[in-house]
Amino acid sequence: MIIRVEYLTKVYDTGAIQVEALRNVSLSIEKKEYVAIMGASGSGKSTLMNILGCLDRLTDGKYILDDVDVSTLNDNELAVIRNKKIGFVFQAFNLLPRLSALGNVELPMVYAGIAKSERQERAKAALEKVGLGDRMHHRPNELSGGQKQRVAIARALVNNPAIILADEPTGNLDTKSSEEIMDIFEGLNNEGVTIVMVTHERDIAQHTKRAVVFRDGEIISDKPIENRIIRGGNNL
Amino acid sequence: MNIAESFVSALQCIKANKMRSFLTMLGIIIGISSVITIVSIGQGGKEAIMGEFDDLGTNVINVNVKSLDNEIEERDFLTLKDARLVREKIPEVTTVVPASYGMGHIKTDKDKKFAEIDGVTQDITKLMKMEILAGRFLSEGDIEAARNVIVIDNITANKLFKKPENAVGQKVKVTIGDNNSNLTVIGVVKNAAGDMAEMFGENFPGAGYVPITTGDRIIPDARIVMFSVMLENMDNSKEVAAKIVHLLEQTHRNEGKYAAEEGFKELDMLNNVINIFTMVIGAIAGISLVVGGIGVMNIMLVSVTERTREIGIRKALGARNKDIMLQFLTESLILCLIGGIIGMALGISLGLVVGKIIDIPLGISPLVILLAFAFSSAVGIFFGLYPANKAAKLDPIEALRYE
Repeated sequence: MIIRVEYLTKVYDTGAIQVEALRNVSLSIEKKEYVAIMGASGSGKSTLMNILGCLDRLTDGKYILDDVDVSTLNDNELAVIRNKKIGFVFQAFNLLPRLSALGNVELPMVYAGIAKSERQERAKAALEKVGLGDRMHHRPNELSGGQKQRVAIARALVNNPAIILADEPTGNLDTKSSEEIMDIFEGLNNEGVTIVMVTHERDIAQHTKRAVVFRDGEIISDKPIENRIIRGGNNL
Repeated sequence: MNIAESFVSALQCIKANKMRSFLTMLGIIIGISSVITIVSIGQGGKEAIMGEFDDLGTNVINVNVKSLDNEIEERDFLTLKDARLVREKIPEVTTVVPASYGMGHIKTDKDKKFAEIDGVTQDITKLMKMEILAGRFLSEGDIEAARNVIVIDNITANKLFKKPENAVGQKVKVTIGDNNSNLTVIGVVKNAAGDMAEMFGENFPGAGYVPITTGDRIIPDARIVMFSVMLENMDNSKEVAAKIVHLLEQTHRNEGKYAAEEGFKELDMLNNVINIFTMVIGAIAGISLVVGGIGVMNIMLVSVTERTREIGIRKALGARNKDIMLQFLTESLILCLIGGIIGMALGISLGLVVGKIIDIPLGISPLVILLAFAFSSAVGIFFGLYPANKAAKLDPIEALRYE
């Protein structure tokens, strides 16, 4: 089991009022799963994503990631966990504009303390894997949306994380690019990469294997996807 | 992320904002360059002044007969015997230079020159810079035998013999009051007033040095009114001065007729004045460095705000707080160091130009350069600390959400 969340509660204390974003959520995700987290905005799915990504702390409950109880860790230890065990893919790509595609992909390895030559080698391999071998030295503003997201996926992969957390990865993309990105995820999952994807689009969720639906901070359904759209994933 | 990599990354960031970085550095450049200019000119001026006294012993006590306060009697004047006594009886004393003097004319058949005639011993060269231009200075033998010899200065030599080389071996007549004596010129020295004397031209009085024993004979009423006493060191100069006065009073059986004080008191004072002056102006210039530092802090705060999202991304990818801290600290450090180096180059060139104009050599000590480096680094770290800390403490989620 790669993710085990038990009775997770998250309360935002805004001073005057307390907002309960998640209430007693329990969830397990196995290795090699491909899970969609769904729900309307305000349902708590983004909060869960932040907690799963070790960007935020839970108020109550337990979160065990890859056999590590992360609910007890301090800021620096969380940073190391994010670096080694989690690969983020964001809706807004979140690439650093001053760095080339290669530089962006190298970044997680910089913080992992990996030597420059090895970094470059691995970053190149990751970029080639997402089909950007010929765009390595381009900066983000010279790339299309789909290409940017592929750089981001390469960056998420490059430290061989336990899971990939994708937050609305196709939200800023046109249909064609979206399909390309979903292709890549499919291929990665076939290779055994665990993927958790937040989305509110049903047809994107159709690509995954399991849908967990949130409403008002609670899970209201958790079941396998029927009539799954299986794309080739063969460009990998 | 290691230090070398944060350096490279910081340099890239500074390059990406050339204009802004330059303007920020300008404060540091102006601060460092003005401090360096002022300190090096001050140092240079001091060295130039001190250089004049370079070859002289500065461990000197001057012993005077106090001629103003009391009536001086014949027996109060100092003697050569006193000089010997002081040297022998007081162990701290290394040399005693007695001097008598008179004013008169040095004459040849054709011409004459008004001059101060000093009766001295060969030891005066330990006390004053005597730059020999021709011949030699007085020797111990000249003093002991009271030879009829004289060493004249270049002004007198030029007036009477056209140039110093011609003077050596010539006979001159020295007239002081009613007293005429024939002496042989054995050497020519540069006037103690140096180049300044030449500016006054022919009217500047010349100088002649005769053995003090000869002076006794040729200077009417030749009296030794002063000893210059040289010591090993000045650690207990006050006690030694008191001892000398006491010894003289005992010998002459009088009281309150002699004064002994440190010879280069004025020099020390001048030194202090220059130091204080340099420090005050340097401190004022230092204020501009602080202002420059505030400029750095300001721009770093802007930079942190602008790059909030970048900080969020870096944190999401595994940057620890100290990595972010290091990144921004390195940036402000590099800004200040580059500013410091440019400022140093500017300050040294400015100092050279100003030094050339007012004609003093520049005193650029390695210490000043080291200090400039240390200071600009300190400014970079001090004023970079707050923005860097602010960046490091950003919440990753909020930073990622920042538009």
